[in-house]
Amino acid sequence: MQAARQNLEELPGEDIGHVPSDDARILVVDDLKSSRMMIGAVLAAAGFTNLDYAGDGIEALEKIREIKPDLLVLDIVMPRMDGFDVCRKVRQELGHDFPILVQSGITNADERVRVFDEGATDLVSKPINAAELISRVRVHVEHRRLLADLRQYQRRMEDELRTAEAMQVSLMKSDEDVAAIAEPRGARIASHYQPSNQLGGDLWQIIPIDDDCFGLLMVDLSGHGVTAAINAFRLHMLIESLTDDRGNPARWLATLAERLYQLLPVEHFATGFYGVYDRRNRSMVYASGAAPTALVLRNDGRNEELDPSGLLLGVSDDVSYDARTVVFEPGDRLFLYSDALTEDFKNVENSLSETDLANIARQALLDDGLDGFPDRVKAQVFATPEDEMRDDITLILMEAR
Amino acid sequence: MDYRIDTSDNCTTVKIQGVLTFDDHEKFKGVVQSISTEQAEEIVINLAETKMIDSAGIGMLLLANDKAIKAGKTVKLAGVSGHVAKVVELSKIDQLIPVI
Repeated sequence: MQAARQNLEELPGEDIGHVPSDDARILVVDDLKSSRMMIGAVLAAAGFTNLDYAGDGIEALEKIREIKPDLLVLDIVMPRMDGFDVCRKVRQELGHDFPILVQSGITNADERVRVFDEGATDLVSKPINAAELISRVRVHVEHRRLLADLRQYQRRMEDELRTAEAMQVSLMKSDEDVAAIAEPRGARIASHYQPSNQLGGDLWQIIPIDDDCFGLLMVDLSGHGVTAAINAFRLHMLIESLTDDRGNPARWLATLAERLYQLLPVEHFATGFYGVYDRRNRSMVYASGAAPTALVLRNDGRNEELDPSGLLLGVSDDVSYDARTVVFEPGDRLFLYSDALTEDFKNVENSLSETDLANIARQALLDDGLDGFPDRVKAQVFATPEDEMRDDITLILMEAR
Repeated sequence: MDYRIDTSDNCTTVKIQGVLTFDDHEKFKGVVQSISTEQAEEIVINLAETKMIDSAGIGMLLLANDKAIKAGKTVKLAGVSGHVAKVVELSKIDQLIPVI
């Protein structure tokens, strides 16, 4: 106590008027009134004037709940409830961000370690050195402010990502709109789109062409995050604007690829599948630019893989694609999916082959056919919700009538 | 991934080991950098010991190729096999970057 008072007197700039004030709210907890007053005076001299006091652990917890301080200066040995209990309860209630600066006379090394084990942020020894106390309080107050700013920034970013995600979902047609296009043109479609938690660049569309034909488009832009989402919007606008040659998959996909080349930076590109289904002969002419292998699940039990090879979209302004044809029988199904279903670069051994996926799809169709098909496939493919959120997921199943 | 750069005559060889994926962006900057710093006109990216490549990895190869073309140089891919060969065959990037 004597030492502390001496230190206090040695403090430079004792005239509070010269010290910049800090409105951080600090709760000083000590069972000795003289100690509380001394610590208060040191803090006040350093510009911390927003001070509250508590005389034991129970009173401290009540005050913390009531006034929500920015920092706690806490004694350990107190009646009713000691500082260790306060540390534990504060950590339970307020988490790990809240700074607790313990001030204690304990010198035993094990006890000092225990202070940190119980949740203290930092420790100053009694008798208190005023300059040290002030330095440590400043560090922790500043740290808390930075942390609060960072958390706020993170929350805002997360909100914005969620908004972008909702916008991305809104680009996709509703089940009713999809049915209104597909069913009069001789097909049933079950579809599912789910953006990843970091936003990806998947986009799929069903495009009515005439009374007999519709187009099915699936594109996956490389990259993640806001860039991929913004590119998905640009892609969506581009698709809407390319109204010529929609009935000619090879030519239309080439035009899309060339336009994407102008839109995307060098290291970004897309994969894409575009097929036009004609109900009159139950055939689909399709073109593919390195899209995941489309699967045909025949009604008679055979599986077929459609040739997916073709130049990536957006890497050249001079592209041509092969037009390939697949003919369906009634009840045959076409399965399109994004690479999130088969590729797992984090655990390579978990990657699925096309055969594996075809078998999973067949199994999922056994129960209720197209109803709930996407959910049953996802449940089979992804072991955990985290796996499911790693990349955008698109699933489209088309059944020929 | 790890890489090693060897220059002999008028050819720089960049050997890429391991996987070439999204996480390798920072490291791959060194490869792109070497295209402009090395004297050689021809850069061969050897993928014989590259086990896997994802879309970000392809993007990096495209970036290296673009950088070379702008510097009046050429990039070629060598030692393409396994998963990498499958990806090259699927994506037809050999139409842009010669495979030797």
